[in-house]
Amino acid sequence: MTGSATEKLALAAIFAIAVIAPFLGAYYLTFVFTMLIAYVVAQSWDWLHGEAGYVNLGHYIYFGIGAYVFSLGYINELPVVVCFAFAALFTAGVGAILSYPLFRLRGDYFAFATLALLPLFDLLAANLKGITKGTDGIPLPPKGVIVMGVDVKVFSYYVALAVCVAAFFLTIWLARNKFGFALKAIRNDEQAAEICGIRIFPVKLKTMALGATFAALAGACYPWAYRYIDPTTVFGLNVALIPIAMALLGGTGLLWGALIGTILLGTMQQMLLVQISGFQATIVGIVTLLIGRYMPGGLLRARIVRGTPGLGALGKEHHERLGVRPAVGAAGEALAIERRTIDPDRTILTCNGVTMAFGGNIAVNNVTLEVKEGEILGLIGPNGSGKTTLFNLISKIYEPVAGEIRFDGHLLNGLRRDTVSHVGIGRTYQIPRPFSDLTVQENIAIPLMFRGDGGLARDAALAEAIKFARFAGLEARLFDRADALNLQQRKALEFARALACRPKLLLVDEVASGLTPAEVRAFVDHIREMRDKYGVTVIWVEHIISALSQVVDRLVVLEQGSVIADGPLREVMADERVLRTYFGGSLKEHA
Amino acid sequence: MLEIRNLVVDHGELRAIWDVSLDVEAGERVGLLGANGAGKSTTLGAILGIYKASGGHIRYKSAEIANREAVQNVEAGIALVPEGRQLFPEMKVRENLEMGAYPRSARGKVAENLDRIFDLFPILREKQNQNANELSGGQQQMVAIGRALMSSPQLLLLDEPFLGVAPVIIEEVMAALNRLADQGVTFLLVEQNIHRAMEFVERAYVIENGRTVLAGSKQQLLGDPEFSNKFLGLD
Amino acid sequence: MTAIIAQLVISGLLLGGLYALVAFGLSLIYGVVRILNFAHGTLLAIGGIAASIIFAVYKLNPVLIAVVLVLVFLVFGYLMHIYLLDPLKKRNPFEATIGTVLVTVGLLLIISDLAAEIAGPTPKNIPLEFHAYIVGEVIIQRAELYILGGITLFTIALHLFLKKTWFGRAIRAVTQSPLGANICGIRSKQIHAQTVAVGCGIVAIAGVLWSLKFPVDPYGGFDLTVRAFTIIILGGIGNLVGALLAGLFLGLAEVFTSFLWASDWAPAVSIVLLLVILVVFPRGLASVRK
Repeated sequence: MTGSATEKLALAAIFAIAVIAPFLGAYYLTFVFTMLIAYVVAQSWDWLHGEAGYVNLGHYIYFGIGAYVFSLGYINELPVVVCFAFAALFTAGVGAILSYPLFRLRGDYFAFATLALLPLFDLLAANLKGITKGTDGIPLPPKGVIVMGVDVKVFSYYVALAVCVAAFFLTIWLARNKFGFALKAIRNDEQAAEICGIRIFPVKLKTMALGATFAALAGACYPWAYRYIDPTTVFGLNVALIPIAMALLGGTGLLWGALIGTILLGTMQQMLLVQISGFQATIVGIVTLLIGRYMPGGLLRARIVRGTPGLGALGKEHHERLGVRPAVGAAGEALAIERRTIDPDRTILTCNGVTMAFGGNIAVNNVTLEVKEGEILGLIGPNGSGKTTLFNLISKIYEPVAGEIRFDGHLLNGLRRDTVSHVGIGRTYQIPRPFSDLTVQENIAIPLMFRGDGGLARDAALAEAIKFARFAGLEARLFDRADALNLQQRKALEFARALACRPKLLLVDEVASGLTPAEVRAFVDHIREMRDKYGVTVIWVEHIISALSQVVDRLVVLEQGSVIADGPLREVMADERVLRTYFGGSLKEHA
Repeated sequence: MLEIRNLVVDHGELRAIWDVSLDVEAGERVGLLGANGAGKSTTLGAILGIYKASGGHIRYKSAEIANREAVQNVEAGIALVPEGRQLFPEMKVRENLEMGAYPRSARGKVAENLDRIFDLFPILREKQNQNANELSGGQQQMVAIGRALMSSPQLLLLDEPFLGVAPVIIEEVMAALNRLADQGVTFLLVEQNIHRAMEFVERAYVIENGRTVLAGSKQQLLGDPEFSNKFLGLD
Repeated sequence: MTAIIAQLVISGLLLGGLYALVAFGLSLIYGVVRILNFAHGTLLAIGGIAASIIFAVYKLNPVLIAVVLVLVFLVFGYLMHIYLLDPLKKRNPFEATIGTVLVTVGLLLIISDLAAEIAGPTPKNIPLEFHAYIVGEVIIQRAELYILGGITLFTIALHLFLKKTWFGRAIRAVTQSPLGANICGIRSKQIHAQTVAVGCGIVAIAGVLWSLKFPVDPYGGFDLTVRAFTIIILGGIGNLVGALLAGLFLGLAEVFTSFLWASDWAPAVSIVLLLVILVVFPRGLASVRK
């Protein structure tokens, strides 16, 4: 862990307090126990939210399910360890199964559907009386209140503390691991993540199941210590939202966010519990509302906290904790892209009768096209002629309604986007889609980590990314977040990221618009270099024909989804039909 | 009538317009040409007031209108036919048109303006009770133009009005625009298709990377090698 | 048997009509502002509780109570949008989503808890004098007729408002194309705040009608929000007729579930329906029609 001295001190202090609390009396035991449980739930919630960007408002059901499974095992006199294992496994399974429907949703739909799970499980617990004993709840038998000579309250306390420690270190591991980078990519842009070679669904499912497991472990500690469980304590709306409020109060996606948030909000709640009777939910509500209204980034991201020496360290974003500094490298250093020898007679991409329709609108109509290895092909056509749609078909954003696309011996129909990236197709977007809250270096490192061959280890990928950044002229901005870049730099980043996928075929979508002539020239040189040095085949969609004319070998013209011309640049530009449809006719007519 | 000086427009952190200057006299037909993403639509949006100007001036009838609300500009006689039409798909054609008269100053002349538009595009009179999404692309474009006319504009901003419109209908729309021009409406037209733009406009500006880079009358531009260069890229 | 079914149908229509009213408000707000107000159903709960208390203390005519509450809710909705929701829109989408969720969930907790603390946690209603009409073997209470009448009148009024007035049309216009509306000179910020106000006002009416027959539980609000959301996803966002039909369907489904199976399971109908719809059509049924 690359933590600062403050962080180590803080961690040691918190841990020490947690260890001695049970010795201070029953009050402190209960008080800290509540917080330990809340921290595990908050932190396990934040894996999905802070890292992957999904607002799972129903996370607390896993706590409840864990508690119920544990209790049911316990009253059937299974050993406690087995009860814990059952609780964890069963809940992980529920999380995995729920992932299938839930991850079809995004944004507030996801939030709403997950929130609706709370009343649903509340109903299940209350109505499946044969299993759960309904609203009467399940009391645990008094037998077993002494575990290995220790009061179960104390024993379960230390078990909960162990789960907390595991959750904390798992958070560090997640943030630094390749898996964590997959989550960060998903948070920013799922489609771009897939284009970079990440198979996203298993990543989301594993995160959900992992979060469910930890919440279930916390849930199992609860009835074990309190010897009783009923539907409202584990599925109630106001209890369920408290851990989420805690994680957000501290700062979501930060190592210390859930922990600090739990300590602050937990302490506040405890103090209020002593001083006022009633209005509990109101207070939780006010805190929740204020966090949402004034600090979506949480307390640790607030300027005051970040500016305070010592405290600032707690608010560090994950990428501020790593970051491989650039080795002094030569400017002309080769990229780690396999140098392919080009066989100019070999066809690398074949589109055969490819058709795409949206509703009744045919965007790409029976396109047949061949691209030879090492070719630089220009693709032009008026707005709405289907150029970008064709790119989207090749990179599998869409599945064609008819026709075949073959690339380098693979039939692309039916393949996933990440597989298409793995077989060697890279692309850029017309409007750049970098992972906004990651640095330039991390943006480029992601495809390097998730290549088809298993990818580079994190540090190797980060180091390698520097070379790509240098190639694209982004060396000076290596550690800046992508959302701080200007348009030209975003385009350069997009290009570098596409190259880092090590494509055999690069699809470039309108890169010249918005660039100055000098920038366009530099870009053209890059494209030529990619072909000449690394044997990359390029298809370039562009409106600015003066840019294309500097480099393309062949030009294909689309109009209303169909190919209307295909041939060497000069021939195509002299074609009457092209002039008429693309330019509306020869300019001479008007003169 | 319209005078833009050194306009700057930002979309969030990205600068879309760096330095655009242009003039439109009353009764003129002026074109605004350039590649995708050059900043043509943003310029029109800034004139109407749906985008904020970060710098420069937009004067309409000698009054500064940069950063005025769109509704004030519509009341003052500016209307926009936006790219992609932006109709209300599940409202009837007639309701779509009537929405164009939303500013208070236009509400008094709804019936009169509807008549004028139905005369201009007779097919709309027939289809006035159909939902806008049931119309063909060309008819939808007519609705978009008609909606803009409901506020009796003196300056009409047209953004790619022929995109996705069948060639036959283009002729019909073009004829309607010519009739409007004869009635004294001033036009600022954004168009990618140079040929078609040149059929309609008298004068044009070329925008590149958010800057006006060329200007001139139709004849001047067509004779200018730099102009054909920019659009054909062949030297 | 026919009598029982007729009786059930009446109950289902009553319940479904009330659900539809709640959904109208949510639908208008979601269509225009694109914010899902998690506290929406809870507003009905406090509306109903307030109506019951006002009735118990002042013996006012329920129509008058509705007028007063509508005014209060209009102001509340307007202020809620201006001070709580609108400022969140300036953020990036990720933070805006979590921000609106937190703010509206916070409101939900605050108002239901305050209502329970102030008025007591027991469900309340307006105890109108009992009077029933008997048609064949079917019994219809007078309160039920009032509710059905109120729902019908109000639905027609809302329909006319959205169709015929400039304000109502502006709401539809913004729902269907925010940019198109902007071009026509509709001030989006103003329309947003006014729509939230109207959406809340509708809930006040639903609350009063609801309390004429059913007890209102301060904590029951979220279940209503789930139902309202199910309804607008089923009926299409911004689609009044769709919401009405979906509401009636849901009401009937719940009543028949209670009758044929067990009343404990009735609340599960909407949740399960919601989850199934969302899973089959992740962007709502409205996206299917296009």
